[in-house]
Amino acid sequence: MTEDELDPVIHAPARLRLLVTLATLPEGDNLSFTRLQDLIGLTPGNLITHLRKLDDAGYVRMDKSGSGVNAVTAVSLTPDGRVALGRYTATLRRLLEAVGPDQPG
Amino acid sequence: MEDDAGRDEHVNADEEQDMDVQQAAVIIEQARVKAQHELRTAHPAIYVTWAIVYLVGYGAIWLSVRGQHPYHAPAAGAILGVFLLAAVALAVTATVVSRATSGVGGTSDVRRRITYLVLAIGYLGVLALEGALGQAGASQRVLGVYGAAAPILLIGLVFAASAAAGTDWTAFCLGTWLIAVGALSGFAGPAGVWGVLALAVGTGFFALAAITMRRIRS
Repeated sequence: MTEDELDPVIHAPARLRLLVTLATLPEGDNLSFTRLQDLIGLTPGNLITHLRKLDDAGYVRMDKSGSGVNAVTAVSLTPDGRVALGRYTATLRRLLEAVGPDQPG
Repeated sequence: MEDDAGRDEHVNADEEQDMDVQQAAVIIEQARVKAQHELRTAHPAIYVTWAIVYLVGYGAIWLSVRGQHPYHAPAAGAILGVFLLAAVALAVTATVVSRATSGVGGTSDVRRRITYLVLAIGYLGVLALEGALGQAGASQRVLGVYGAAAPILLIGLVFAASAAAGTDWTAFCLGTWLIAVGALSGFAGPAGVWGVLALAVGTGFFALAAITMRRIRS
Protein backbone atom coordinates (compact mmCIF):
# COMPACT_ATOMS: atom_id res chain seq x y z
CA MET A 1 0.00 0.00 0.00
CA THR A 2 1.40 3.42 -0.98
CA GLU A 3 0.45 7.09 -0.69
CA ASP A 4 -0.50 6.96 -4.38
CA GLU A 5 -3.74 5.30 -3.31
CA LEU A 6 -4.81 8.52 -1.57
CA ASP A 7 -7.19 10.64 -3.61
CA PRO A 8 -4.93 13.37 -5.12
CA VAL A 9 -7.79 15.89 -5.15
CA ILE A 10 -8.07 15.60 -1.35
CA HIS A 11 -4.41 14.95 -0.57
CA ALA A 12 -3.35 18.61 -0.33
CA PRO A 13 -3.27 20.46 3.02
CA ALA A 14 -5.73 23.21 2.11
CA ARG A 15 -8.26 20.96 0.38
CA LEU A 16 -8.07 18.41 3.18
CA ARG A 17 -8.79 21.16 5.75
CA LEU A 18 -11.67 22.38 3.60
CA LEU A 19 -13.33 18.99 3.31
CA VAL A 20 -12.85 18.12 7.01
CA THR A 21 -14.31 21.49 8.02
CA LEU A 22 -17.34 21.08 5.76
CA ALA A 23 -17.79 17.48 6.96
CA THR A 24 -18.28 18.65 10.57
CA LEU A 25 -21.56 20.27 9.46
CA PRO A 26 -24.68 18.12 9.48
CA GLU A 27 -25.90 16.99 6.05
CA GLY A 28 -27.97 19.71 4.42
CA ASP A 29 -25.97 22.57 5.98
CA ASN A 30 -23.61 24.96 4.22
CA LEU A 31 -20.99 27.57 5.09
CA SER A 32 -20.64 31.02 3.57
CA PHE A 33 -17.46 31.70 1.65
CA THR A 34 -16.36 34.35 4.14
CA ARG A 35 -16.93 32.11 7.21
CA LEU A 36 -15.07 29.30 5.47
CA GLN A 37 -12.23 31.70 4.75
CA ASP A 38 -12.11 32.67 8.44
CA LEU A 39 -12.03 29.03 9.51
CA ILE A 40 -9.41 27.87 7.01
CA GLY A 41 -7.25 30.99 6.97
CA LEU A 42 -6.68 31.22 3.21
CA THR A 43 -6.71 34.25 0.95
CA PRO A 44 -9.91 34.56 -1.12
CA GLY A 45 -8.02 33.70 -4.31
CA ASN A 46 -6.44 30.59 -2.86
CA LEU A 47 -9.71 29.49 -1.33
CA ILE A 48 -11.70 29.82 -4.56
CA THR A 49 -9.01 27.97 -6.50
CA HIS A 50 -9.10 25.02 -4.11
CA LEU A 51 -12.88 25.08 -4.00
CA ARG A 52 -13.06 24.96 -7.80
CA LYS A 53 -10.85 21.85 -7.82
CA LEU A 54 -13.14 20.22 -5.28
CA ASP A 55 -16.18 21.40 -7.22
CA ASP A 56 -14.79 19.95 -10.48
CA ALA A 57 -14.36 16.61 -8.69
CA GLY A 58 -17.97 16.81 -7.46
CA TYR A 59 -16.92 16.93 -3.79
CA VAL A 60 -18.32 20.38 -2.93
CA ARG A 61 -21.14 22.50 -4.21
CA MET A 62 -21.04 26.29 -4.47
CA ASP A 63 -24.31 28.20 -4.62
CA LYS A 64 -24.09 31.90 -5.32
CA SER A 65 -27.02 34.10 -4.41
CA GLY A 66 -27.53 37.82 -4.79
CA SER A 67 -25.40 40.08 -6.96
CA GLY A 68 -22.92 42.91 -6.63
CA VAL A 69 -22.23 43.92 -3.03
CA ASN A 70 -24.92 41.51 -1.80
CA ALA A 71 -23.41 38.44 -3.47
CA VAL A 72 -23.02 35.52 -1.08
CA THR A 73 -21.56 32.13 -1.90
CA ALA A 74 -22.66 29.11 0.15
CA VAL A 75 -20.37 26.10 0.11
CA SER A 76 -21.49 22.61 1.07
CA LEU A 77 -20.09 19.10 0.98
CA THR A 78 -21.82 16.84 -1.56
CA PRO A 79 -22.70 13.20 -0.77
CA ASP A 80 -19.87 12.19 -3.14
CA GLY A 81 -17.51 14.46 -1.18
CA ARG A 82 -18.52 12.87 2.11
CA VAL A 83 -17.94 9.38 0.66
CA ALA A 84 -14.59 10.43 -0.85
CA LEU A 85 -13.42 11.89 2.47
CA GLY A 86 -14.48 8.71 4.27
CA ARG A 87 -12.55 6.62 1.75
CA TYR A 88 -9.52 8.93 2.09
CA THR A 89 -9.45 8.70 5.90
CA ALA A 90 -9.88 4.91 5.78
CA THR A 91 -6.96 4.61 3.37
CA LEU A 92 -4.93 7.01 5.50
CA ARG A 93 -5.63 4.91 8.60
CA ARG A 94 -4.44 1.75 6.86
CA LEU A 95 -1.29 3.52 5.67
CA LEU A 96 -0.58 4.78 9.19
CA GLU A 97 -1.05 1.29 10.61
CA ALA A 98 1.34 -0.06 7.97
CA VAL A 99 3.95 2.57 8.81
CA GLY A 100 3.63 1.83 12.54
CA PRO A 101 3.73 4.27 15.48
CA ASP A 102 7.53 4.27 15.85
CA GLN A 103 8.40 4.87 12.24
CA PRO A 104 9.33 8.39 11.19
CA GLY A 105 7.15 9.95 8.50
CA MET B 1 -21.54 42.19 2.16
CA GLU B 2 -20.03 40.81 -1.03
CA ASP B 3 -17.78 37.82 -0.53
CA ASP B 4 -14.61 37.33 -2.53
CA ALA B 5 -15.62 34.08 -4.18
CA GLY B 6 -15.24 35.57 -7.63
CA ARG B 7 -11.69 36.72 -7.14
CA ASP B 8 -8.87 34.81 -8.84
CA GLU B 9 -5.32 34.57 -7.54
CA HIS B 10 -2.50 32.19 -8.10
CA VAL B 11 -2.47 29.37 -5.58
CA ASN B 12 0.24 29.73 -3.00
CA ALA B 13 2.88 27.06 -3.55
CA ASP B 14 2.75 26.15 0.14
CA GLU B 15 -0.88 25.15 -0.22
CA GLU B 16 -0.11 22.69 -3.02
CA GLN B 17 2.89 21.14 -1.27
CA ASP B 18 3.05 17.42 -0.81
CA MET B 19 2.43 15.98 2.64
CA ASP B 20 3.06 12.63 4.20
CA VAL B 21 0.43 10.48 5.89
CA GLN B 22 1.30 11.64 9.43
CA GLN B 23 0.95 15.28 8.39
CA ALA B 24 -2.39 14.47 6.77
CA ALA B 25 -3.60 12.80 9.98
CA VAL B 26 -2.56 15.85 12.03
CA ILE B 27 -4.31 18.22 9.60
CA ILE B 28 -7.52 16.17 9.80
CA GLU B 29 -7.51 16.22 13.60
CA GLN B 30 -6.65 19.93 13.85
CA ALA B 31 -9.27 20.94 11.26
CA ARG B 32 -11.93 18.76 12.92
CA VAL B 33 -11.23 20.14 16.42
CA LYS B 34 -11.14 23.74 15.19
CA ALA B 35 -14.37 23.43 13.19
CA GLN B 36 -16.22 21.72 16.03
CA HIS B 37 -15.00 24.38 18.47
CA GLU B 38 -15.93 27.32 16.24
CA LEU B 39 -19.28 25.94 15.03
CA ARG B 40 -20.49 24.51 18.35
CA THR B 41 -23.89 25.84 19.48
CA ALA B 42 -24.20 23.45 22.44
CA HIS B 43 -21.88 25.45 24.71
CA PRO B 44 -21.45 24.82 28.46
CA ALA B 45 -21.82 28.58 29.15
CA ILE B 46 -25.41 28.44 27.87
CA TYR B 47 -26.34 25.52 30.11
CA VAL B 48 -24.61 27.02 33.18
CA THR B 49 -26.49 30.33 32.84
CA TRP B 50 -29.82 28.49 32.51
CA ALA B 51 -28.92 26.31 35.51
CA ILE B 52 -28.40 29.52 37.51
CA VAL B 53 -31.76 30.91 36.33
CA TYR B 54 -33.56 27.92 37.79
CA LEU B 55 -31.42 27.26 40.83
CA VAL B 56 -31.23 30.90 41.98
CA GLY B 57 -34.39 32.34 40.39
CA TYR B 58 -36.82 29.53 41.18
CA GLY B 59 -35.02 29.04 44.50
CA ALA B 60 -35.73 32.68 45.41
CA ILE B 61 -39.39 32.24 44.48
CA TRP B 62 -39.57 29.12 46.64
CA LEU B 63 -38.09 31.08 49.57
CA SER B 64 -40.75 33.77 49.06
CA VAL B 65 -43.69 31.33 49.08
CA ARG B 66 -42.66 28.50 51.41
CA GLY B 67 -44.03 30.24 54.53
CA GLN B 68 -47.36 31.26 52.99
CA HIS B 69 -50.40 29.76 54.74
CA PRO B 70 -52.62 29.89 52.78
CA TYR B 71 -50.67 30.12 49.54
CA HIS B 72 -51.35 33.29 47.54
CA ALA B 73 -48.49 34.22 45.16
CA PRO B 74 -44.69 34.58 44.84
CA ALA B 75 -43.12 37.91 45.85
CA ALA B 76 -42.95 40.43 43.00
CA GLY B 77 -39.22 40.93 43.63
CA ALA B 78 -38.55 37.21 43.21
CA ILE B 79 -40.51 37.07 39.95
CA LEU B 80 -38.65 40.13 38.67
CA GLY B 81 -35.38 38.40 39.63
CA VAL B 82 -36.30 35.37 37.50
CA PHE B 83 -37.08 37.59 34.52
CA LEU B 84 -33.77 39.46 34.92
CA LEU B 85 -31.81 36.20 35.18
CA ALA B 86 -33.69 34.80 32.18
CA ALA B 87 -32.86 37.97 30.21
CA VAL B 88 -29.15 37.47 30.97
CA ALA B 89 -29.36 33.78 30.01
CA LEU B 90 -31.16 34.68 26.77
CA ALA B 91 -28.45 37.24 25.97
CA VAL B 92 -25.68 34.68 26.62
CA THR B 93 -27.53 32.08 24.50
CA ALA B 94 -28.09 34.54 21.64
CA THR B 95 -24.45 35.67 21.68
CA VAL B 96 -22.98 32.15 21.67
CA VAL B 97 -25.41 30.79 19.08
CA SER B 98 -25.14 33.77 16.71
CA ARG B 99 -21.33 33.65 16.87
CA ALA B 100 -21.27 29.91 16.17
CA THR B 101 -23.88 29.98 13.41
CA SER B 102 -22.61 33.08 11.61
CA GLY B 103 -22.34 32.09 7.93
CA VAL B 104 -23.96 28.70 8.51
CA GLY B 105 -27.06 28.02 6.45
CA GLY B 106 -29.24 25.09 5.50
CA THR B 107 -31.30 22.56 7.41
CA SER B 108 -29.95 23.24 10.92
CA ASP B 109 -30.65 26.96 10.58
CA VAL B 110 -34.26 26.30 9.55
CA ARG B 111 -34.69 23.73 12.34
CA ARG B 112 -33.30 26.18 14.92
CA ARG B 113 -35.67 28.98 13.81
CA ILE B 114 -38.65 26.63 13.94
CA THR B 115 -37.64 25.53 17.46
CA TYR B 116 -37.46 29.14 18.70
CA LEU B 117 -40.83 29.86 17.07
CA VAL B 118 -42.44 26.81 18.68
CA LEU B 119 -41.01 27.83 22.08
CA ALA B 120 -42.37 31.38 21.76
CA ILE B 121 -45.81 30.24 20.56
CA GLY B 122 -45.89 27.51 23.19
CA TYR B 123 -45.06 29.97 25.96
CA LEU B 124 -47.85 32.29 24.80
CA GLY B 125 -50.14 29.25 24.86
CA VAL B 126 -49.08 28.44 28.43
CA LEU B 127 -49.86 32.02 29.50
CA ALA B 128 -53.22 32.00 27.69
CA LEU B 129 -54.22 28.71 29.32
CA GLU B 130 -53.24 30.11 32.73
CA GLY B 131 -55.57 33.05 32.07
CA ALA B 132 -58.33 30.66 31.02
CA LEU B 133 -57.86 28.56 34.16
CA GLY B 134 -58.09 31.70 36.31
CA GLN B 135 -61.23 32.79 34.50
CA ALA B 136 -62.75 29.33 34.99
CA GLY B 137 -62.33 29.72 38.72
CA ALA B 138 -59.08 27.85 39.38
CA SER B 139 -57.70 28.57 42.84
CA GLN B 140 -54.42 30.38 43.55
CA ARG B 141 -52.98 27.00 44.58
CA VAL B 142 -53.83 25.44 41.18
CA LEU B 143 -52.58 28.49 39.30
CA GLY B 144 -49.38 28.41 41.37
CA VAL B 145 -48.64 24.80 40.43
CA TYR B 146 -49.54 25.40 36.78
CA GLY B 147 -47.52 28.63 36.47
CA ALA B 148 -44.40 26.95 37.83
CA ALA B 149 -44.57 23.56 36.13
CA ALA B 150 -46.22 24.16 32.73
CA PRO B 151 -43.32 26.19 31.21
CA ILE B 152 -40.88 23.44 32.25
CA LEU B 153 -43.08 20.81 30.61
CA LEU B 154 -43.14 22.91 27.42
CA ILE B 155 -39.35 23.46 27.44
CA GLY B 156 -38.80 19.74 28.04
CA LEU B 157 -41.06 18.76 25.13
CA VAL B 158 -39.41 21.19 22.70
CA PHE B 159 -35.90 20.29 23.91
CA ALA B 160 -36.53 16.54 23.58
CA ALA B 161 -38.19 16.83 20.18
CA SER B 162 -35.48 19.07 18.67
CA ALA B 163 -32.70 16.98 20.23
CA ALA B 164 -34.22 13.78 18.86
CA ALA B 165 -34.43 15.33 15.37
CA GLY B 166 -30.71 16.10 15.56
CA THR B 167 -29.97 12.78 17.32
CA ASP B 168 -28.36 14.54 20.30
CA TRP B 169 -29.17 11.92 22.91
CA THR B 170 -27.71 13.87 25.86
CA ALA B 171 -30.00 16.82 25.16
CA PHE B 172 -32.84 14.37 24.53
CA CYS B 173 -32.27 12.93 28.03
CA LEU B 174 -32.40 16.44 29.54
CA GLY B 175 -35.63 17.09 27.61
CA THR B 176 -37.29 13.95 28.96
CA TRP B 177 -35.97 14.78 32.44
CA LEU B 178 -37.64 18.21 32.19
CA ILE B 179 -40.90 16.60 31.02
CA ALA B 180 -40.85 14.22 34.01
CA VAL B 181 -39.95 16.99 36.45
CA GLY B 182 -42.54 19.37 34.97
CA ALA B 183 -45.23 16.71 35.16
CA LEU B 184 -44.48 15.41 38.65
CA SER B 185 -43.24 18.50 40.53
CA GLY B 186 -46.82 19.72 41.00
CA PHE B 187 -47.36 17.01 43.59
CA ALA B 188 -45.12 19.07 45.90
CA GLY B 189 -47.89 21.69 46.07
CA PRO B 190 -47.94 25.34 45.00
CA ALA B 191 -45.03 26.32 47.25
CA GLY B 192 -42.96 23.12 47.10
CA VAL B 193 -43.15 22.97 43.29
CA TRP B 194 -40.75 25.95 43.04
CA GLY B 195 -38.18 24.26 45.28
CA VAL B 196 -38.41 20.95 43.41
CA LEU B 197 -38.04 22.69 40.05
CA ALA B 198 -35.13 24.85 41.29
CA LEU B 199 -33.17 21.76 42.29
CA ALA B 200 -34.24 19.34 39.55
CA VAL B 201 -34.03 21.72 36.56
CA GLY B 202 -30.92 23.52 37.84
CA THR B 203 -29.15 20.19 38.41
CA GLY B 204 -30.24 18.95 34.98
CA PHE B 205 -28.71 21.95 33.22
CA PHE B 206 -25.52 21.72 35.31
CA ALA B 207 -25.25 18.04 34.36
CA LEU B 208 -25.66 18.89 30.67
CA ALA B 209 -22.97 21.60 31.01
CA ALA B 210 -20.58 19.09 32.62
CA ILE B 211 -21.24 16.44 29.95
CA THR B 212 -20.75 19.00 27.16
CA MET B 213 -17.51 20.23 28.75
CA ARG B 214 -16.26 16.64 29.00
CA ARG B 215 -17.08 16.04 25.33
CA ILE B 216 -15.17 19.16 24.32
CA ARG B 217 -12.08 18.08 26.25
CA SER B 218 -12.11 14.47 25.03
